[in-house]
Amino acid sequence: MASTTPAKSKTVVGAVVAVVLGVAVVVGVGTQLHAHSYLNPPTGTATINGTITAPDGKTYPHAFISNGVFAAAADSKAHGNCANCDGGHPSWPSYGPYTKLVLPAHAYVTMTLHVYDGGEKLNSPYYANVVGTVGGKINVDGKDLTSLAEDGVQHTFTIHGLPTETQDPLFINVPLPKTAEGEQDEPGSPLPKGHTVTFSFITGGKGEYVWNCEYPCGDATYQGFGAVMGATGFMSGKVSVL
Amino acid sequence: MAHHDDDLLPTPGQRVGTFLKRKDVSQTFVLGAFFTAVFVVLGLWVYPHWMPNVMSKEMQGNEDIMIWFTVISAPIAGVVLAIAMESFINMHRGDTPPPEDGPGIKTHGPVVIIWSAVTTLFCILAIVWGITEMNTWSADALAGSNKALVVEVTGSQWNWSFNYPAQGISSHELNLPINQPVEFRVVSADVNHSFWPVQLGVKVDANRLATTVARTTPDKLGVFDVKCAELCGINHAYMETVGHVESVADFNSWVSQAKATGGTQQ
Repeated sequence: MASTTPAKSKTVVGAVVAVVLGVAVVVGVGTQLHAHSYLNPPTGTATINGTITAPDGKTYPHAFISNGVFAAAADSKAHGNCANCDGGHPSWPSYGPYTKLVLPAHAYVTMTLHVYDGGEKLNSPYYANVVGTVGGKINVDGKDLTSLAEDGVQHTFTIHGLPTETQDPLFINVPLPKTAEGEQDEPGSPLPKGHTVTFSFITGGKGEYVWNCEYPCGDATYQGFGAVMGATGFMSGKVSVL
Repeated sequence: MAHHDDDLLPTPGQRVGTFLKRKDVSQTFVLGAFFTAVFVVLGLWVYPHWMPNVMSKEMQGNEDIMIWFTVISAPIAGVVLAIAMESFINMHRGDTPPPEDGPGIKTHGPVVIIWSAVTTLFCILAIVWGITEMNTWSADALAGSNKALVVEVTGSQWNWSFNYPAQGISSHELNLPINQPVEFRVVSADVNHSFWPVQLGVKVDANRLATTVARTTPDKLGVFDVKCAELCGINHAYMETVGHVESVADFNSWVSQAKATGGTQQ
């Protein structure tokens, strides 16, 4: 009897150690996968320049940020600033130069997107509507719009709402008009004639969000949501509100 | 005096009595009672705190089923866990070799019959209860469907959008008036999703080119979560939005506001 008690103890200790080690291995692998899943995305930080009174009557810090959308990943500069820097996918469209955006909390953010891609028809017509911007509108080449034709969209800039107990909702959908075929942006430019889209929205408190394009600009897999739409760093990324 | 060999065999009652007097069996029953009590406490007191708020009769039904199924299955889970624990405690250990001629393990007929009968009854009870509950909800929903608020739900990678055809508005958030039957007509614009307004107790597939219908009646004011419950791509984890159960006046005000701003509302 005296000889079995230590043996029982060893068994129990062994079982506990095995469980703890197993949990540690799973946590370690998960932590490393998470840490390496999206390393160093090109980050654009909005710059505050003065204040502005919004339609709600409140005065906010006024922040500005610009970005672009390109038919060829190399033109976006989001994957390195060289002719062949295309993230390994020269035929994929991409936002650029930034795929991660840093915005101030409780601010009036004005974003300008220079967009240079063609398009076809949206899977869901809802995303042809402007949602969540100040006044429910965007300005396209100097003209205010509240929606586009669902077959006139090249991409969308859509921040997911992601309301949680610890962060405010922030849902924005901006449809971006497709470019006309055959026109160049300027003589000698590899880019087609693009559009300049400007819009504003008001951020809430601090939070981490994701954005992605709702136009099916991937390959034919999954209704256009394969390839580029199944990867991060081209047509999707993150938004940090700090 | 001649007699048959059968006369020497113990009766089933004697076999059960002998079985229950074994030390390992009695220990297992004590452990089983303890684990059963733990699971019952989990089911009755802990689960209701872990589960989401109840904002419809359907969600209340879901929670009731979860709780009572946990209680019903507690003895089964408790005894199985107790057998595993008893085996673990009494397993051979140490440097000495195991006994060469240990008692053989053989089928114990009455115990097998009792165990099979009890677990079968529990399963039948669970199935009948679940089907009865679901049929009750369906009947109630159909009875109210002629006055239901219709909401067309579209899932697309990786967002939800809601169209209110009678009101002529669309939205990214799901606003519903309290105590008004609602009929969700759910589709997908691309891959399969699953529409899950959590606190309303509804979960239904969103398929491309096919409409699925689910009904509920929200009966508590507040905010609820809308999630996708079908792994649908790289941003599936972010396919969430919020819903609000509002007073009828607030809902009508929201509709009017949406119409005034072109019919599309955040």
